Amino acid sequence: MMQLRALLRGVVGLLLAALLWEGAVLALHIRPEYLPRLSTILAAMAATPGAYWDGFLRTLAETLLGFAAGGFVGVLNGVIFLRLPALRDMLFPIFIVSQTIPVIAFGALVVLWFGNTLLAKAVIAFYLTFFPVTVNTLLGLNAVDPRQVALLRSFGAGPGTILRRLQLPAALPQIFVALRLAASLSLVGAIVGEWFGDTIGLGVLLLQAMYNENVVSLWAAILCAAVLGTGFYAVVAYAERRIVFWGAEQ
Amino acid sequence: MSRATQRGLLGAVLLLGSWEALARGLALPAYTLPAISDIILATWQHRSLLASAGWYTLAEALLGYAIGCTAGITLATLLILLPPARRVVMPAMLAINAVPVAAWSPLVLLWLGIGMASKVAMVALAVGFTIFLSALAGFDRQDRRAADLLRSFGAGPIALLFRLRLPAALPLIAAGMRVATVRSLIVAIVTEMLGAQGGLGWIIYQAVVQIDFVQVWSAILVASVLSLSFFGLITWLEQRIIFWR
Repeated sequence: MMQLRALLRGVVGLLLAALLWEGAVLALHIRPEYLPRLSTILAAMAATPGAYWDGFLRTLAETLLGFAAGGFVGVLNGVIFLRLPALRDMLFPIFIVSQTIPVIAFGALVVLWFGNTLLAKAVIAFYLTFFPVTVNTLLGLNAVDPRQVALLRSFGAGPGTILRRLQLPAALPQIFVALRLAASLSLVGAIVGEWFGDTIGLGVLLLQAMYNENVVSLWAAILCAAVLGTGFYAVVAYAERRIVFWGAEQ
Repeated sequence: MSRATQRGLLGAVLLLGSWEALARGLALPAYTLPAISDIILATWQHRSLLASAGWYTLAEALLGYAIGCTAGITLATLLILLPPARRVVMPAMLAINAVPVAAWSPLVLLWLGIGMASKVAMVALAVGFTIFLSALAGFDRQDRRAADLLRSFGAGPIALLFRLRLPAALPLIAAGMRVATVRSLIVAIVTEMLGAQGGLGWIIYQAVVQIDFVQVWSAILVASVLSLSFFGLITWLEQRIIFWR
């Protein structure tokens, strides 16, 4: 019931925003090269739904692949660094430096290495996501109460059991904070990756619209990206509420 | 030197060494992986070109960073002083934020042209959001009892803001400003690659088109050094100014 009401409020909010957009453009005489009417944009999308739908799916696939790989490697890194502090001290500064490299410059190389494939875009999305997940996993694992670890060990639990039963569950709230961030970042990686000459994808639609100075289709692509980003973020946040039901927001 | 620093240096030396050995030993072509010594040499040879491009990008990033920080903190402050405005402004801000930053770049380029203005605007947008959200979270963190105490001494909302909320929010704002340093340079370079008259992103784009991958790596090197220096500077300032944390 609560969820239904929240959903209803969301829908009403969206409708109000759409009306406000349409009304503002009409009332303030905003020139269409800055902000076209929402109805014009939606009509453009309805005219060629195939291009937007294909682009949406393609970018979604790249985003999901990069996100999954980045999340997995990030958690794995966190666990490895917890076990081997020497390795952490050696690799962590390198990871930090790697994050200052502008992703788009790196993207040129990735596309060269992996070809102009879905994999190349997923690698770029991965590159943006694995680091925040690594950092937060390590933070969460390190914050576990050592007395609890000692207690489990006194019951004869091995390191694997302690990790599964105590450390990972305790680190989950921290990990999910990073996963929510990673959801947004992986989409950015996928879109930017598509700028190196691809044929399908939301990033391609953005670039084509810019070269053609077609503001309406540019806004249509922006709307698609917003829907994709918000939807993915909402799914991750929902999973967080389900899995971390004991709730440790921040 | 601490143990961690030693290990960090060891890691860096090992990485650079194996990179050099791999590139030299397997005689990898430059488009796969140039040797690190070649990259440094090429950076030195093109130092005047790279330096001027670096300045160009840094100027865009710094200007956008300053505008973004000011706008973000100002907006957060206004929303704290006028709580009713928050219910109107927040949904709009969240809607703008829902679009991935990179997706705004083509539109801003169309609006503001390929000069510096579009890059400054993009950096200001990306930095502004980071700062705005962390400032708002920081302002919301005030201690109720401390606020009641100050109010009982006759402090108005402005005094409350400067005496209590701002000091409490500063650590979070500073954390946002630290994250935003690296982001400002990255956004400037990303936007430059879509169209610009100069800067590191433009150099990278040109080098990719000319298949000059040593040049790409040189520009990446310069960009990383700039990002790290900017990050270091802000961290140093933070430790100086926010001494109570």
